[in-house]
Amino acid sequence: MNSSTAERDALYDRLIVERARKPLHAGRLDAPDVQGEGRNPLCGDKTHLDIALNGHHIQDIRHQTRGCAICSAAADLMAERLRGETVTQALQVADRFKALLVEPSSSAVVEKSHQVPLGALEVFAPLRSHKARIRCAELPWVALEEAFSHVDG
Amino acid sequence: MATHTAKSPAASQLDVQAIRAQFPILAEKVHDRPLVFLDSAASAQKPNAVIDSMANTMRHQYANIHRGLHWMSERTTEAYEGVRDLVAGFLNAPSREEIVFTRNSTEAINLVAHSFGALLRPGQAVLISQMEHHANLVPWQMLRDRAGIELRIAPITDDGDLDMEAYKAFLADGKVGLVAITHMSNVLGTITPASQIAEVAHAAGALVLFDGSQAVVHHKTDVQALDADFYTFTGHKLYGPTGIGVLWARRALLEQMPPFLGGGDMISTVTFERSTWANIPHKFEAGTPAIVETMGLGAAIEWVSQVGFDAIAAHEAALTAHALQRLATVPGLKIVGNPRMRGGVVSFTMEDVHPHDIATLLDRNGIAIRAGHHCAEPLMRRLGLSATARASFGIYTQKEEIDVLADTLVRIRDFFV
Repeated sequence: MNSSTAERDALYDRLIVERARKPLHAGRLDAPDVQGEGRNPLCGDKTHLDIALNGHHIQDIRHQTRGCAICSAAADLMAERLRGETVTQALQVADRFKALLVEPSSSAVVEKSHQVPLGALEVFAPLRSHKARIRCAELPWVALEEAFSHVDG
Repeated sequence: MATHTAKSPAASQLDVQAIRAQFPILAEKVHDRPLVFLDSAASAQKPNAVIDSMANTMRHQYANIHRGLHWMSERTTEAYEGVRDLVAGFLNAPSREEIVFTRNSTEAINLVAHSFGALLRPGQAVLISQMEHHANLVPWQMLRDRAGIELRIAPITDDGDLDMEAYKAFLADGKVGLVAITHMSNVLGTITPASQIAEVAHAAGALVLFDGSQAVVHHKTDVQALDADFYTFTGHKLYGPTGIGVLWARRALLEQMPPFLGGGDMISTVTFERSTWANIPHKFEAGTPAIVETMGLGAAIEWVSQVGFDAIAAHEAALTAHALQRLATVPGLKIVGNPRMRGGVVSFTMEDVHPHDIATLLDRNGIAIRAGHHCAEPLMRRLGLSATARASFGIYTQKEEIDVLADTLVRIRDFFV
């Protein structure tokens, strides 16, 4: 098995399959401060985000996702990673995550936000060799950017 | 389950290995595994006959057509116009002048929406069905919005057949000028009862267009037997190249319709003040056409005709029956639609596994299928789905490949559940 095959095999990490099947951060908030939605017209996938803010900090974040395993797990692991962060930090993680999905050498963003740790979100790195599926993992982040588009960092 | 009419199996045996040997791409490996290509409904692979014909055109017999006074142009024009004869024979069209070359089926339908649409009057309606590809929906929405034409949508049954009673009811007020319906659904595999559709339309004073993109691949097409008024198809699903499609329409209609695109080749005389149009079909073929691709289409038609539609239809009916039977044994798998007549297309969903995950995991095993809305979003909504996985079969598909598909789907399901 060559290395590119090995990388492909790693795409559906156990963590992704588990979070797609049993998300830990799914649902809605009673009184969200901001909301966002991401839709992929190519496949009909959809993520809705409810976010409760405490000052500049994300106090709680819930997602409601109808999508493939990649999209569902990305939403769940995003919510997990961002809870407690400030809006500015969250957007830095977003940049770092986007950079992760393209070849490391081709992006200056990597250098700039290198200090921001992705944590469990690193499991999506093999998506680099699945260009057609990158949008699936990006969808929750599209919703995030929409949610924060009216919030000052 | 019903499929195409087929002659006795013995008379229509197709030597799949001999066919496969003529498709060089089928020897390729994907992710170190033999390519299992189950996506012919999106676009079919090409036999050597097509590849060689296009390469030979460029190597030995190429110049612009209809304008050169030199030997090479005359020979190329003859070959190009020869393909028009082949297409006329392929569709059993009454005359070669009724064959218009387009870029694909989408462009052919746009041509009709534009040029025949110009003959419709506000208050008249165009009737399509719920199972149309976007290609046979969006051009009519555009016509509706610019010309005040009503767009009506005939429903389908839960099994995925056209609801004939509702269809008749939509025609009852006599306002429908054109019925435009697929001859075979790219999602459900439904082969529509075209001659019945045409009969009902004509009785109500409407003309009828069939989108034959999927249908022409699987069985013999006869526009006169169907009593169609317009028929469209595309080359690339018929084992031919991309960039070449066909509109057939009755002579009287083409003569009445204004041109679609303006430019060279479609004119009779041009002054700075005005132009007059060339005779049909050239009136609808502006500019230098896809000469090389047209040669490729001609080669594809000759090649398919040589294999024979009796053999093709019997082969694909057997594959489809086998697929329906094998896929039914995969836990959690649901086949979408159960039409009365089905071509070599099977859409399905799996409990707990999204179609895109199915497609990616099948691809890892060298199996190419389509996943998504298949350019038929309104149909997906009608079915209550956002996406399906779709396997489609062609002349080169082997029974064993369907077994590989079914076995791999079982493993994928185990992985997720």
